[in-house]
Amino acid sequence: MLQDNEISSLIEDQPGHHFSVDRRAFTDEKIFEAEMKSVFEGTWNFIGLETQLPEPHSFFTTYVGRQPIIVMRDADGKIGCYLNSCRHRGMLVCLFKQGNRKLHVCRYHNWAYDSGGRNRNVTFANEGAYGSEFAKQDHDLVSVRFDSYRGMMFASLNPDVPDLRYYLGDAKVFLDLLIDQSPIGQLELIPGGATYVFEGNWKLQFENGLDVHHFQAVHTSYTDIMAGRLQRGLLGNPVIEDDGSDVQGVFTFQHGHAVYWQAFARHPWGKPINYDMEFLESVRARVGRERAKWMLRSRNLTIFPNLQIVDVQTTQLRTWRPLSAGRTEMKAHCLGVVGEPSGARRYRMRAYEHFFDATGLATSDDNMMYELSQAGYAAEAGRTQGYQRGIGLDSRSAEIYARELGIAPVASMAGPARTDSETGMHAGYREWQRLLSAGAKR
Amino acid sequence: MSQLKSGNSQDRESFELFAVAQNLLLREASALDTQQWDEWLALYTEDAIFWLPAWLDEYQTTSNVDQSMSYMYHESRLELSERVARITSNKSATAMPLPRTMHLVSAPFIAMLDNNEMMARSNSAVHVYDTRAMRHHITASRYEHILKRNANETWQIKSKKIILINDCMPSVIDFYAV
Repeated sequence: MLQDNEISSLIEDQPGHHFSVDRRAFTDEKIFEAEMKSVFEGTWNFIGLETQLPEPHSFFTTYVGRQPIIVMRDADGKIGCYLNSCRHRGMLVCLFKQGNRKLHVCRYHNWAYDSGGRNRNVTFANEGAYGSEFAKQDHDLVSVRFDSYRGMMFASLNPDVPDLRYYLGDAKVFLDLLIDQSPIGQLELIPGGATYVFEGNWKLQFENGLDVHHFQAVHTSYTDIMAGRLQRGLLGNPVIEDDGSDVQGVFTFQHGHAVYWQAFARHPWGKPINYDMEFLESVRARVGRERAKWMLRSRNLTIFPNLQIVDVQTTQLRTWRPLSAGRTEMKAHCLGVVGEPSGARRYRMRAYEHFFDATGLATSDDNMMYELSQAGYAAEAGRTQGYQRGIGLDSRSAEIYARELGIAPVASMAGPARTDSETGMHAGYREWQRLLSAGAKR
Repeated sequence: MSQLKSGNSQDRESFELFAVAQNLLLREASALDTQQWDEWLALYTEDAIFWLPAWLDEYQTTSNVDQSMSYMYHESRLELSERVARITSNKSATAMPLPRTMHLVSAPFIAMLDNNEMMARSNSAVHVYDTRAMRHHITASRYEHILKRNANETWQIKSKKIILINDCMPSVIDFYAV
């Protein structure tokens, strides 16, 4: 059990002056146990998109923290989330990743559950072997608190969590900037997701998604390839910023969410949204020029504690499942905009394949960084200096950007290219610490 | 399907084709394992397809590259040379150092597709050893090579499809490890 004084020593947080994280946060298995209980099993986790459940009786299986869950659409189309564990003696009920089934039969003794999680068979119940005590028990699958924001599904093993919309806060607007690219307001995971495991702590991935300036050091081999492709005319249409300037910023929100964004006067790497200029114009007509401007900007979003969505020259939705302090399983998909033109879809897919995941030309380098960082953390070399870029920068220049979106972030900053603030990571660590403390008291 | 029977000239030709396919697959394996990247690239035609499809579920891989994802999908030897250039550029940490690999490729099962092309199906286990982390990983795959006979009677790889059965990957899987 983590004690209060241990939790409070994990980060040193003096807003405007200093921020650092104790290396033990990455290596200590006791902290890992506490994280699983208090963070991943203590608050809302992203679990998938409603478009993964296209019909009544559609299902898929996944995890919240360490706990296996099944997400199903019942006969009436209502979505529910349940622990994937038979009420009889605990076996996994559903053995497949996804599909469509009216009835899930546990293979051990044939107890059965429908797509609403209700028990439909207790084997040999009528033969009289079960007594009155058993009859009083609820034999349905244990249901898990579930909610959905515009097709994005979340579950919480801790029933005592705020309303999802309150939890997401203004980070919702960054989900809207993805969802509203679609003429019917739907996103989909393009079939054929990737699963990979890196030998490092999950917070290395969390940090990387909010790390602006690693790109120039880590991904030069990728940018070299893109330079060649640009010459061959393969990179779609350049992205031209409405406001004409190279500027970037960070917004952080309550509950640990954060986003860093970049606007380029002219970026030669086209995006799917402007691959077909007619489609872009239709998006502009539908959402307005201001919102479309934000859709064209690069955005790296973290929804704490387990989701990141990257919208750059392609779009990735990725989640992580921590396996131990030094090992993390990633699941990633190319995030498709439902209703986009086929040329844009093809461009999105190829661009994704060339960048992301263990087989991509960029993520693989990031994964190396995580493993090498994890190896370096074994050295007791004191707190690192890696969370300080951007501290103390004047945040007033960011207000105009917050106003464009109609949001009131907890913190924001903006600056010219190469500002590359690291302050986006602070919000997640503060929420992490808050959840560890709250969980220690439960 | 050409099958080995006994004695006649058609069978000798079948056996020669089998030997050609076997030889090409082993040369590819050897070039990759000895890191002779230019030799490896030269085995491929200019318009070669290199395809590692993703799995749609427990049983099926992607069949339409524009509708579902691939782990790797390249439509030209030029794109393969991009991967080679990346790992020889000294800019990618995935090559600092490169792992040692050993490709174990089974004898292929061949079928002529037309006079100058054959399909070669084989199995492959690639042992990948990370010398820094001292970690060993095996990628287990079914290969489907389409081999093309050129005008000068040499053969090249027109297409390599790799069906990777253990697709929960470690942190890096590149062309030399499948």
